[in-house]
Amino acid sequence: MAAEPGLQELRELVAEFQPGRGHVLPALHKVQHTYGWVPRQAIEVIARQLNTTPALIYGAVTFYSDFRTHPPATYEVAWCCGPACRLRGGEAIREAIQEELGIGLNEQTPDHRFGLHVGQCNGTCHEAPQIWVNGRVRGNLTPESARDIIRSLRDGE
Amino acid sequence: MNARLEKLISDARAAWRAEQASGRIRIRVTLDTSSLARGADETLARLREAAASRRIDADVGITGSWGFCWMEPCVSVRSAAGTHAVLYGNVTPDRVDGLIEAIAAGRDLPELALGVIEGNATPEIPLLEDHPFMKGQVRRLMANLGRTDPENIDHYLAHGGYEGFGKALEMDAEAIVKEVLDSGLGGRGGGGFPTGRKWDFLRNATTSPRYLVCNADEGDPGAWVNRILMEGDPHLIIEGMLIAALASHADEGYIYIRYEYPLAFERMKKAVAQAYERGLLGRDILGTGKNFELIVFLGAGAYVCGEETGLINSIDGYRGMPRIKPPFPAQAGLWNKPTNVNNVESYANAPLILRHGAQWWSSVSDVKEKGTKMFTFSGHVKQAGCIEIPFGPKVRTLLEQYAGGLSGDLPLKGFQPGGPLSGVLPASDIDLPLTLDPYRERGMFLGSGGVVFFDQSACIVDLCLFFLGFCEDESCGRCTTCHGGTQRAVEILRRIAAGGGRDADLENFEKLIGTLVWSNCLHGQFAMTSIKTSLRTFRDEYVEHIVDKVCRAGVCKGLMPGRWARRPAPVSAGATAD
Repeated sequence: MAAEPGLQELRELVAEFQPGRGHVLPALHKVQHTYGWVPRQAIEVIARQLNTTPALIYGAVTFYSDFRTHPPATYEVAWCCGPACRLRGGEAIREAIQEELGIGLNEQTPDHRFGLHVGQCNGTCHEAPQIWVNGRVRGNLTPESARDIIRSLRDGE
Repeated sequence: MNARLEKLISDARAAWRAEQASGRIRIRVTLDTSSLARGADETLARLREAAASRRIDADVGITGSWGFCWMEPCVSVRSAAGTHAVLYGNVTPDRVDGLIEAIAAGRDLPELALGVIEGNATPEIPLLEDHPFMKGQVRRLMANLGRTDPENIDHYLAHGGYEGFGKALEMDAEAIVKEVLDSGLGGRGGGGFPTGRKWDFLRNATTSPRYLVCNADEGDPGAWVNRILMEGDPHLIIEGMLIAALASHADEGYIYIRYEYPLAFERMKKAVAQAYERGLLGRDILGTGKNFELIVFLGAGAYVCGEETGLINSIDGYRGMPRIKPPFPAQAGLWNKPTNVNNVESYANAPLILRHGAQWWSSVSDVKEKGTKMFTFSGHVKQAGCIEIPFGPKVRTLLEQYAGGLSGDLPLKGFQPGGPLSGVLPASDIDLPLTLDPYRERGMFLGSGGVVFFDQSACIVDLCLFFLGFCEDESCGRCTTCHGGTQRAVEILRRIAAGGGRDADLENFEKLIGTLVWSNCLHGQFAMTSIKTSLRTFRDEYVEHIVDKVCRAGVCKGLMPGRWARRPAPVSAGATAD
């Protein structure tokens, strides 16, 4: 994980974006893509670049669930909350993972190796119930196989 | 036709013919989000390796989805002579060696075959069109899927691509609008509003610049038709937007794709870049003097941005909160300029209408809703996949024929036609047709195409808790009726599920139903639909939960399990609905 970026570095990163051109989300995406999250100081830098207020940028960051205001864990586990997953036992998968990791949704383990958050259905419902580990689908889970995935990641595969 | 376009098309056709006549075996792997979830990237890599190491002269490439999502990865193999081609399913990485061995020996692999896609059926493998999953399907939007490379504009051009745009270039805006109006194309996002009329609003706008927006924020969980189309044939959407731009004198377009679809985003970006390279987008398009800029825009995780004014605010750079209408987008949309918003599938139909004519396009359906519609289906079904059919068949056909029936041994309990706002219907409504009106009459809607079936192991209170929980999470927070109302509904449902149901709860639901309809946008107005519709047909089950403290499906852990429960009484921790 990168250290917190400096102001100059951030200014250069978002220099291509312009006011009044719908560049708020693209600028935030670029920052998150670069650092894995949106550091607090990036909000002010983007606001200045786009000639708007930090409040507006902060408002956008907190409105959309996919912007992170803290660094990601090594393994970001997204638990799919969609209807097919729920019908096929998704709640038990969530409970098993939460118990295995000792954390709830939108939390990280103290060592920052695992983060757990809600994933929105991406239409791979044929693999329900499923989780995504760093974006990769792990499907057709049982509570036991979900625990196994977490354990093998924790023990370094 | 425009001479430059004609040249692009004839060059692409020549290249396609040369590819066909190359005398090489052609192997095509479906590479989309569904197949990637089942290891298609590894299948592709292993096929390339194995073909190379066995010295098989094969051209290994990628294609879009056939709709057999539950059978991914799908791989088609076409003989060197080009006279025989077979589609295979479930070609997981570990099965690649077996397939390569068969190819090397010059034979088919019947145990993985789904059907013959070119040439005659064999004694062991029937034609794909005779597969039960393919029967009754009319693949127009999906015509190229499985056959062309979505990352190659020439493949699209060689299959009638941009011909509709070529025709539109020779028509005036009014004539294009008339053609689309005559076709009867209705908005595919769920509303069904005539697309041609929307374009006409923008055409008649008095200020400029004018914007087109493609709503690819397919947020309804259980729906992935737009993803299949964007990942499988992205140029169809670009061409549709180009035609709409000619019809409405639009200057700039945005394709707003949800964050959960990274591959669709990459494919659309690549396709747009290719269209720019060929002079199909940008300034002075194909030397005609017309301009149209197209930007692919990535959302960031907000269901309510699927509401057109929420989406507009999101592009503008604000929180994606729906605006108060009027003014409507056609008057004041993006940057308060005239804007038209259509669904992916609505735009994608325009090239077909222009290329083949309104009459051809609408002739496929014998109900009021014209044209074809893509559906996905999931839940307690054997086969979760994607199809394209004319409007009109029964929901039963979707379940029994295309989804292969229920996955378990329990009877059907009900289904949700399209998204968390669309409501739930009981098994007795399984013979409703897939048209718009029957759902409207029930105070709900058909939705954008993602049908979810559930059997008796599902609990109606638990399902509504999911739908309402989703609506609560995704409420933008503007209207108290919506953000407060969904919170109250979730609290009551949680209490009922935990065994604390009260006699007044059903009445409270009715009050909430009457309250949320005063919300500004459809999200709030329809948030209570699942409770409203289920109170009508599953009322007994609510009463059981509240009065008898029994959950017949055994899902609600605070209650005694009832007749459909698979777990024994008393309540044990860790039980599941499955």
